[in-house]
Amino acid sequence: MKRHSLLRVMKMSLPYWKIILMSALCVLAVNGAELAKPYVLKVVIDDFLKYRKPQAGLYSITAMGIAYMLLVLISSTLTYIQENSMNYVGQSIVTNVRRKIFSHIQRFPLPVLDRFTTGRLITRATNDVEAISELFTDVFINLFKDVFLLIGIVFVMLRMNVTLALIGFTVIPFIVLLTNVVKKKMKANFVVIKSLTGRINGFFAENISGMKLVQIFNMQREKQREFKELNDEYYKAALTRMTLNSVLRPAIEIFNSLAIAILIWYGMGRIMGQTLDLGVLYAFTEYIKQFFEPINDLAEKYNTIQSAVVSADRIFELLDKEEELEDYDSGIRVDRFRGDIEFRNVWFAYNDEDWVLKDVSFRIRSGQTAAFVGATGSGKTTIINLLSRFYRVQKGEILIDGININDINLRDLRRNIAVVLQDVFLFSGSIRDNITLNSDISEDRVEAALKLSCAEAFIYELPDKMDQPVTERGSTFSAGQRQLLAFARTIAHDPSIFVLDEATANIDTKTEGLIQRSIANVSKDRTTLIIAHRLSTIRNADVIFIIRKGRIIESGSHDELMALGGYYYQLNAVS
Amino acid sequence: MKSKIISEFLKKYWYNYVIGAAFLILSSYIQTLSPKYIGTIFDLLKEPVIDSRLILHYIILLVLVALGLFVTRFIWRYFIMGNARNMECFLRQRLLEHLQRLDVTFYNNRKTGDLMAYAVNDIGAVRQSFGPGVALVLNGLGLGLLSVFSMANSVHPRLTALALLPIPFIIAIIVWLGRIIQKRFRAVQKNFASISDRINENISGIRVIKTYVQEDREVDRFDLLNSKMMKSNLDLVRVSSLLSPLIQTLFGISFMVNLIYGSTLVIDGAISLGSFVEFNGYLGMIMRPVISIGRIINVFQRGLASYKRLNEIFMERPAIADTVDKSPVEKIQGSLEIKGLSFRYPGYDEYALKDINVSLPEGKVLGIIGPTGSGKTTLVNLLLRLYKVDDGKILIDGHDINEYRLEDLREAIGYVPQDNFLFSATISDNIRFFDDRFTEDDIENASRISMIYDSIMDFPDKFETVIGERGVNLSGGQKQRISIARALIKNPAITILDDALSAVDTQTEEDILKNLKQDMRGRTCIIIAHRISALKHADEIIVLDHGRIIERGTHKSLLEQKGYYYELYRDQYQKEQRERMENEAS
Repeated sequence: MKRHSLLRVMKMSLPYWKIILMSALCVLAVNGAELAKPYVLKVVIDDFLKYRKPQAGLYSITAMGIAYMLLVLISSTLTYIQENSMNYVGQSIVTNVRRKIFSHIQRFPLPVLDRFTTGRLITRATNDVEAISELFTDVFINLFKDVFLLIGIVFVMLRMNVTLALIGFTVIPFIVLLTNVVKKKMKANFVVIKSLTGRINGFFAENISGMKLVQIFNMQREKQREFKELNDEYYKAALTRMTLNSVLRPAIEIFNSLAIAILIWYGMGRIMGQTLDLGVLYAFTEYIKQFFEPINDLAEKYNTIQSAVVSADRIFELLDKEEELEDYDSGIRVDRFRGDIEFRNVWFAYNDEDWVLKDVSFRIRSGQTAAFVGATGSGKTTIINLLSRFYRVQKGEILIDGININDINLRDLRRNIAVVLQDVFLFSGSIRDNITLNSDISEDRVEAALKLSCAEAFIYELPDKMDQPVTERGSTFSAGQRQLLAFARTIAHDPSIFVLDEATANIDTKTEGLIQRSIANVSKDRTTLIIAHRLSTIRNADVIFIIRKGRIIESGSHDELMALGGYYYQLNAVS
Repeated sequence: MKSKIISEFLKKYWYNYVIGAAFLILSSYIQTLSPKYIGTIFDLLKEPVIDSRLILHYIILLVLVALGLFVTRFIWRYFIMGNARNMECFLRQRLLEHLQRLDVTFYNNRKTGDLMAYAVNDIGAVRQSFGPGVALVLNGLGLGLLSVFSMANSVHPRLTALALLPIPFIIAIIVWLGRIIQKRFRAVQKNFASISDRINENISGIRVIKTYVQEDREVDRFDLLNSKMMKSNLDLVRVSSLLSPLIQTLFGISFMVNLIYGSTLVIDGAISLGSFVEFNGYLGMIMRPVISIGRIINVFQRGLASYKRLNEIFMERPAIADTVDKSPVEKIQGSLEIKGLSFRYPGYDEYALKDINVSLPEGKVLGIIGPTGSGKTTLVNLLLRLYKVDDGKILIDGHDINEYRLEDLREAIGYVPQDNFLFSATISDNIRFFDDRFTEDDIENASRISMIYDSIMDFPDKFETVIGERGVNLSGGQKQRISIARALIKNPAITILDDALSAVDTQTEEDILKNLKQDMRGRTCIIIAHRISALKHADEIIVLDHGRIIERGTHKSLLEQKGYYYELYRDQYQKEQRERMENEAS
C-alpha cells in the first residue's frame, strides 16, 4: 500500500519529465562540479606547491583559482535553476491534486461526505498536499543526487583497493538493519501524529464555530480540559518522534567511526608489511566519510518520505472513492420537468434497517401543490432528500414524469428541483452572489426574484444594496432575512419543481403573509412541495399528506381530510 | 505592544535551553576532536617504526568520540527540541484559552479558517524557530568560532582577513533577502488560510451547492484561489532558493583567495604547505554553519512572521471582561429590569434598540414578538452580555449586569439560540454540554421537559448516539429540542428561548410550554417567537419594531389595543378558528 502510493505520486510527475530530466542533468553537473573542486586543489598542491612546476598561461595558480571560482558559479547557478524547476513541478502537481480533492468533495454524495469531518477534509487539501509537494522539491531530486554520489564513491573505492572497500562495506548491513527497526517505529509514530493533528484541527474548527455557545454556557474550562488531553497526547507522540530522530542519525555516525577504526586497524598491518600506501588509506577515510553523508541524508529524507507517504495514502483514499462520486454525465437528459412526481412503495433508512420511511407511496400531479404534515422526525425532510437524490432509496422507486429518478441525469434532476432548506446557508461574497450563486442570471431576473420573495425591502435599505458583502455564514443578517434571501435565490433559478422545507418557520407573520402571496405566484406553473408546521399555510394545497412515523396515514385535500375526521381533523382542532 | 506569552514560557523553562546549549557546545567540541585524532594517527603511521599500541589507543579514542557525540547529541536534542515541542503545546493551549475569552465582535470579523491557521501553522512555525532554529544557531556559532580561532591563531593574519572579507556581504544579503522572504511567506500563509476557509465554507454549504448544481462553478472559483496559492509559493521559492547559492558563491571567493594568495605565500615561503591545507580545511568548517544561515533565516523569518500574527491575536482584548471579582448576589433569583436601553452595534449608525424599558419580576414570563430584524435577538445578546451595555441600563436582581462576573451571569441564564449548533459528540454530552456535574437523571429529565426523550430513545444508541459534525442525522426540530434540553438542564434562573420553537410542530410546542410552566415554576422566562401561540400565556408581551417597543401588555390587553399584535393574532388565529368552525358546521 505504502510503496503503491509513492509510485502513484511519482506517476503524476510524468507529464513534467522534460523539466525533471533537466533538473536531473543539473544535479549531475552540480555533482561533477563538486567533485572537480578538490581536483583543482590537488593540482595546485601537487604541481605548483610540491613539485614547483613552472607556471604558464592557463597552467598557472591564478588560472586554477579562476577555474575554481567558475566551478562554484556553475554549481550555484544550476542549483538555483534546479530548485526552482522542481518547485514548479511540485507546485503544479500539488495544485492539480488539490483541485482534484476539491472537485471530489463537490461530487461526493452526502452519505460519503457525512463520514468525513470538515477539519479532516481541509487537512487533505492543505497539509497533506504540501507534504507531497515536498517529495518533489526536496526528496526525489536529492535521492537522485545521493544515489548518484553513492555509486560514484563505491566505484572509485573498488577501483582503488578492493579489500579495503569490502571492509568498509561490512558495516552497511548493520546500518540497514538499524534503519529498518527505527523506521518501522517512525511510521507508526507518523500515523499517530497525523491523526492527532487532524483532531486538533477539528477541535479548533468546531470550537471556533461554536464559541458563542461555549461562552454562554460557561463551558470554557471543560473544553480546555478536553483539549489538554488531546494536546498531551500530541506532546507525547511528538517526543517519541524527536527521540526516534535523535537516535537514527548519530547511530549511523557511530558506524561511520567504527568503519574508519576497522579500516585503520587493518591498514596499519598492510602499511607495516609495505603492501599499502599511506595516501590510499587516507583517501579511504575521506571516502568513507563522503560515503556516509548521502546515507545520512537518505535517513533524514526518510522522515519527509514517511510523512509524505502517510499524506499520499490519505489523499488517495479520498481520491479512490471514484466509483462513489455522483455521476453527473450519464442518465436521461431532461430540459424541464412537467413535474409529475410519484413515490412507489419507497423504503428508506439512513442506517441499516432503521427505517425512516416505510412503504411510502403517493402521487403529485404536474402543477399541483402538495403539503406534508407530520411531527418532527416523522420523515418529511427525508422525502426531499430522496427526491433530490441526496440519498438513494433502498426499496421501491421514485418517478418524475414517469421516469425513475435514478435514471435521470443528476445535474438535470437537481437543476429542476429548487429546495429552500431548513438551515439557510449563505456564502461569503455579496448578496448578488448569494442569489445568482455565480450563475449567469440577468439583473432583471434577480430584481424580479427580490420582488417576489419580498427580500427587496430590506435589501434596498442596506448601504450597498445588492453588493452588500455577506460575511461568513451570513452572520450579520437575521434568521428571517436569511430566509428571505434563500427564497430570492430559489425564485431566481426558476426551477420546475419547487420545494419549501420548513422555510417559513423563522419569518414573522407580516413578512410571511407577503411570502405566501409570492409562493402562490411561483407555484402557479410548478409542482410545489411544502413542508410546514402551520396548518394555515397549507390549507390551499391541492393535496395534503399526513406522515406519521415514516408512513402516510392520511391524504387528500383540506376539505376531504376534515371530512375524514382523522388525525388532520384533530390537529386542526387542537390549534 | 507585545504579548508576554513567549517570555512567560521562557521564564518557566529557560533552564532547558541552558542545559541544552551546554551539551550542544560540548557536542560541537567533541566533533572537532575526530579530525585531530585521525591526523595524529596518520602522523604516527608516517613514522618509519610504527607504534601499534599507541595507534590502537587513538583508534579506541576515535570510537569513544563517536559514542560521546551520540550521547551529547541525544541530550541536547532532548532539552532543546523537546522544549520546543512543549512550547508548541503550551501555546496551543493558551491560544484556545485566549480565544475563549474573546467576544462576539471579534468572531464576527474573523473567519474560522484564519483562526485555525493560527493554531496549526503559526504555532508550528514558532516551534521551528525555538527548536531547530535555536539548535542551528548554537551549533553554527560553536563550530564557526572554533574554526576562526584556529585560523587566526595558526595561519597568516592578512590571508585570514582577506579570505573572510566576503562575510559582511553575505550577512547583508541574508538580511536583504530575508525581508523579501518574510513578505512573500506572509502571502503564502494568507493564501493557505483562504484555501482552508473556502473548503470549510464549501462543505458547510454543500447542500445548497448540490441543490443548485453549482459544483463546477465552485471548482472554477476554487481554481482561482488554487492558482494564486501556486503563484505565491513559486514567488517565495524564487527568492528563498537564491539565498544559499549566493552565499556559496561568495564563499567561493574566500576559497579562491586562499587558492591564489595562499599558494603564492607558500611559494614565497611565508607559510608552510601544511598550513595552506589546514586553512582550506577551516574554511570548509566555517562554510557549513554559514550556509545553514540561509536555513536559519528561513526558519526565523517564518517564525517571526507567525509570531507577529500570534501576537496580534494574543493582544486582542475582549470588549467584554469582568470588572469585578465577585458578583453582588450569591445566587441570581431572576428579576429583570431594563431602563431606557438604547444600543447600536459597533460600527453602525443606526440604533438596533431604542429606549427599551422592561420590568420583569422574578418568576414571570416575558414574551417578545416583532418582525424580522426588529431587535429581538439583539436584546437577548445584551442580556447575555455578548456586547457591551452602558451602566445602569440592565439590572438583574436589582444590580447592574456589568457588576456581575460574566460566568455567574451566564450560569444563571439558560439560553436556546436561534441556530442550533451542536457539537460532534454524543447526545448526552450535548445536553449536559460536557459538564460532569449533571447525572443521567438530570439529562433524562431535561430531555423529557423538552419533549426529545422519546426521539432519543428511538435512536439505536439512545443518549450515546453520536451526532455528526453538521448534525446531519437530526431534523431541525430535534436539534432545537436538544438545544432546549441543554439550556434547561442547568435549572437556570432565567430561561431564554430565542425563536427556539420554530421548527417544532404546534402540538410539541404546546407540550414543551406546558412542561416549562410546570417544571420551571418560579423561574423567569423570556420567549421570543413569531407565533402567538408560543407566548400568549406570558405575563407581559412586548412588540418590537425597528428597535422600539411599539406595544406592550398581556395577551388580552394587547388584543384590546387593536394594534400590530391584534393584527397578527387575527392573521394567525382567528383565521384558523374560523376555518375550524366552518369545518365543524359543514
